[in-house]
Amino acid sequence: MDNELTALTTIFTEFYYWITVVLMFLIHVGFCMYEVGASRYKHHQHTLMKNTMLIPLVTVTFFLFGWWIYWALPNGPGLATSIMPDVGSGLILGGGFGANEIANPTNALMAVNLGDHFYGVFWAAFLLFSWTAASIVSGAVIERITTFAFGICAIAIGSVFWTIDAAWGWHFDGWMLKILGYHDAYASGVIHAVAGGFALGILIVLGPRIGKFSSSGEPRNIGPRNPWLVAIGLFLIFTGFWGFYAACNIPIFNLGPEYGMEGVTYWTATNIYVTPTTLGGITMNFLMSLSGGFLAGYLISKGDPFWTYSSGLAGIICSSAGNDLYHPIQALVIAMVGVVVAYKMHYWVERKFKIDDAVGAVAVHGYAGFAGLIICGFVLWGYPSSGYNVPEIGNGMWDGTNYALINPLGMFIGALIMFFVLGMFPGWVIAKILHGMGKLRIPREVELAGLDYEILEAAKDDEKAVSSSASR
Amino acid sequence: MTVTNWIEHLSAAEVQGSIFPGAGSIESLLVLLGFVLWIGWHIIAAKQESSKLAKLAKRRHGPNDWKSNVTDGQ
Repeated sequence: MDNELTALTTIFTEFYYWITVVLMFLIHVGFCMYEVGASRYKHHQHTLMKNTMLIPLVTVTFFLFGWWIYWALPNGPGLATSIMPDVGSGLILGGGFGANEIANPTNALMAVNLGDHFYGVFWAAFLLFSWTAASIVSGAVIERITTFAFGICAIAIGSVFWTIDAAWGWHFDGWMLKILGYHDAYASGVIHAVAGGFALGILIVLGPRIGKFSSSGEPRNIGPRNPWLVAIGLFLIFTGFWGFYAACNIPIFNLGPEYGMEGVTYWTATNIYVTPTTLGGITMNFLMSLSGGFLAGYLISKGDPFWTYSSGLAGIICSSAGNDLYHPIQALVIAMVGVVVAYKMHYWVERKFKIDDAVGAVAVHGYAGFAGLIICGFVLWGYPSSGYNVPEIGNGMWDGTNYALINPLGMFIGALIMFFVLGMFPGWVIAKILHGMGKLRIPREVELAGLDYEILEAAKDDEKAVSSSASR
Repeated sequence: MTVTNWIEHLSAAEVQGSIFPGAGSIESLLVLLGFVLWIGWHIIAAKQESSKLAKLAKRRHGPNDWKSNVTDGQ
């Protein structure tokens, strides 16, 4: 940096992402509180420990290979042509698979580097997205999964499958943009639908908590044991979600030279696809979709607190795919639709397939995210999925050398890829393997006694010892 | 209005700032829809609440009955 303006822009961008990372930490704090609030007293500490340990497990694996996957696989490999030049410096990637230098953990660039101020904070922001993906799964499986099995699942979704889907559909060079016209600005699909689908795949194999269904198969409600903790947890998730929205943007970027427009200078904030939006506009849409979620959730659940709070989140998730471009009232209405879909689907799937989703994670993240992608395909039909190169006439779908326009069919296929191909199917396979090894579920006796039994027993003994010595 | 090409959009002599779907023609309709949803929400929510409160009032619970409904956390 040899002049003040470049230095200011660089340090501002670095600091901007740094702040988003700190804000997004609140998502994890919120998930921890929310899950503990939803679990029963005898499982509290295990529930918290499980979600805490995903932090180091996903962080280490994301350093080793998760970040590499994101930068290596945008084009499949082999599904589309990269727009990124191979300059051989290692700072800009070449042809995709196998050519990645900036995210190669054996490379000196993956450390403090005075020549680059951005990739460290990008890495951290994406890592926080990875925690979120794993944390979504964590809530669905509480009170009966082993910590070992959850750790494997957390790494699989946090450092492998979500990063594959991000490379494919959440990268300016992603093949899903080029071939399908996929658009998912704030991750309805690439984080929420994939994690919801992954959780559903595990739940199919894991089975319900003891007592969740009657002998005739009627579902029973095991409601949150600490509604305060659930409420505060969700409000922290909303707060962290703001950081997430900001982290999905590039705060200041000159699109003129970036798009090869001669003599044009156009400074703006952009979304993750490097197409223009504004931080102000997305904040309006965030708040309107949160409100739409609350309004619809309150009505459809008849004022049930757990579902009303969760619906605020489901509303944001449903609108997120297009919240970079929607009008605020469009965002509000889409959020309301998403909540109705999520709520109805949750109880239908629970009753029909005997799925015990303890916190409604599959519904709030999976179904709402899936619905959001499909709706986005209709509302943003005809918008370009990228600014780099758009077809002259009509839609470049299936071509792969150009960028397709956003369209309903492409978005529907994209939703299927997110929820089923990269979410539910891998989750089911991994859970099957863990189940086959006898490592997936805790013993029935432990589930009945409570995962915290020994901790509680030891605490009681400690207390007795302390009080007896105090009375001497 | 639908943006179909970002390069053309940003190259215009005066860049059109509104980029949401239907910009320039749909705003009034959206605001009207917003009003309908807002008022409609109050009507439905008030009906739901009244029916819930009436049902509870009919049972004539005592002031301490709620204590037997507190779960033990198991």
